[in-house]
Amino acid sequence: MHSILKTSLAALVAAGVTASSAAADGHALSGELNIISDMSNPAPRAVMEGLAEDFGALHPGLEVNLTIVDREAWKTQIRNALGANPPDVVNWYAANRMRPYVDAGLFADISDLWAEPEFEALASTKGAMTLDGAQWGVPYTYYQWGVYYRKDIFDQYGLSEPSNWEEELANCQTLLDNGVKCYTIGTKFLWTAGGWFDYINSRTNGYDFHIALARGEVEWTDDRVRQTFANWRQLIDMGAFIDDHQTYSWQEALPFMVNGEAASYLMGNFAVAAMRDGGLTDDQLDFYQFPVINPDVDFAEDAPTDTFHIPSGAQNMDAAKEFLRFVTSAEVQTEINSGAGLGQLPVNANASIDDDKFLAQGFDMLSNNAGGGIMQFFDRDFEAEMASVGMEGLQEFMVFPDNLDDILERLEETRQRIYQ
Amino acid sequence: MFPTPLAKTSRQWQISYQVLLPIMLIVWLLPLIAVANFSIKPEADFVNGNYWGIPSSFSAFENYGKVFFESNMPRYLWNSLFITIPTVIGAVALSCMAGFALGVYKFKGNLLIFFIFIAGNFVPFQILMVPVRDLTVNLNLYDTKTGLVLFHIAFQTGFCTLFMRNFIRALPFPLIEAARVEGIAEWKIFLYVVLPLMKPALAALAVLIFTFIWNDYFWAVVLTQGPDAQPVTAGITEFNSQFRAAYHLMSAGSIVAALPPVAMFFLMQKHFIAGLTLGAVK
Repeated sequence: MHSILKTSLAALVAAGVTASSAAADGHALSGELNIISDMSNPAPRAVMEGLAEDFGALHPGLEVNLTIVDREAWKTQIRNALGANPPDVVNWYAANRMRPYVDAGLFADISDLWAEPEFEALASTKGAMTLDGAQWGVPYTYYQWGVYYRKDIFDQYGLSEPSNWEEELANCQTLLDNGVKCYTIGTKFLWTAGGWFDYINSRTNGYDFHIALARGEVEWTDDRVRQTFANWRQLIDMGAFIDDHQTYSWQEALPFMVNGEAASYLMGNFAVAAMRDGGLTDDQLDFYQFPVINPDVDFAEDAPTDTFHIPSGAQNMDAAKEFLRFVTSAEVQTEINSGAGLGQLPVNANASIDDDKFLAQGFDMLSNNAGGGIMQFFDRDFEAEMASVGMEGLQEFMVFPDNLDDILERLEETRQRIYQ
Repeated sequence: MFPTPLAKTSRQWQISYQVLLPIMLIVWLLPLIAVANFSIKPEADFVNGNYWGIPSSFSAFENYGKVFFESNMPRYLWNSLFITIPTVIGAVALSCMAGFALGVYKFKGNLLIFFIFIAGNFVPFQILMVPVRDLTVNLNLYDTKTGLVLFHIAFQTGFCTLFMRNFIRALPFPLIEAARVEGIAEWKIFLYVVLPLMKPALAALAVLIFTFIWNDYFWAVVLTQGPDAQPVTAGITEFNSQFRAAYHLMSAGSIVAALPPVAMFFLMQKHFIAGLTLGAVK
């Protein structure tokens, strides 16, 4: 009697466990799950292959087929791939880059996934995944932008991390008086200037204004845009940036910082590895969040986010959604973003990160101190053609600030043509 | 028309020539010297802005070690080999036969066919990019070594046939007539009479085509992607990561990729020059 009770109790518990896990999974997944990924560089490729393998091991009834496409080639192939015989999961980017495929009805609306409680941990990028009031994908990694600076040079001249624009300008003046440029930058390939615009514009006018401008809802000749450029010009007129920056790539601008001719660099976190390779130690190198310009607006941060999406023509929608739950879970995001994997930041706020001071600062900043919103970077937030014309204008402004009126008119003409 | 031989010029001119020549040589080789220099530098030198100076530490073993043991370079090199050698064999074999037919037999349209082969050489290959890509996709040969080999054979056969036909034309025809009088089958004449005489042309052409195909970048990029099929010229960009270009590894990889054709040139120099001037002098 006793043993029967025990057995049936065990059976009951087992049934309960099965029932609850079945409820989570819906039902056992079967069929094929076709994934096309653009994670073609060696380390990301290994991560993606690992993801597919682990997911397959979790769902023995499911056949996971992974195709990896060259990252650059994918940018032109995606439309074709989504149109005819689409896979179940694809890689892409957040924010406005999703727009063409959302408008064409090629991405599936996955707002129901985002309504699940587990997705609250991804709140920092919810805005970037939202278009037309619905969510169209999930993030798996991002990295912070901010000011990387030479702590030893700051200490030498008695400077501290600036928290507002006045301190920023004062710091810069001190450095210039001592023959050190405040910022290194290489604008040969234009995009680095986009980072500066993102920050000065969002600090001056706020995230909502910046995104409205990106969506073509505000004129480039608007006074608020002019205010952004006026703030930027303060730095340019001081001579804060290194000379001839239009002839350097971002990597070619690194020596100025490593050799101490410039004190800081507004850049993405990928710059840290290069600076360490150049011989800078963690004692010499530090990071601060771009300072406040207008105290009335909240911090918005550039954190380009890479994402997974489900094509609307996916054959195995259940498995695809389960895969998205899998890649957004705290454990998986911790694992794939570790130093052995992507070496970037997990988006899930419950994930943990490697013991690295820059990752720690970035994770804290993006999770707790980016109340304004997460920007995806100039060339991802703005429509592609607008971004290309825009970044040319930004570079021209940095070299010939007096051309501002011409530049703004040109950008405004482009905006009117593109966002008809 | 010909420049005066150096020995007959004035002493000053001889001296200035001897001084200028090495300088010009260095200027001309500067990009190559930079690549070679970079291939033995540590990555830190690039971040520090030490582009032309002496390497801060000698990292040749590290860089070349990474190229050979921690990247897909060996695979790309094998791909290059598996693309180049079949192409050389295929193009040379086909053009020998076509050249024999065009050079020995008189038939209607002989000249027309020959001109078509020549005309094909004048088509700028870039305009074939889209149709050839579509064709390989439709034949399921996209991103395969076979697809690349087939295209190269087809495209190189035009030039090779021109070369072979003219060479066979220059052979003494009585040799073939004599063989015919003996009642030897035509294919045996090709195999035992003409082919042995063509050895210098075969060697020259094989060396030329080997370097052409090994150094091809355009079709490698158009028709293949990824380490399964790409030859080394295209695969070398793999050293670029998402954010950073690894110039030291790319330089080391370039040197490695350039070695086979350079070695080929020095080993087969005689044939190479023969190939370029063959038929030019009667």
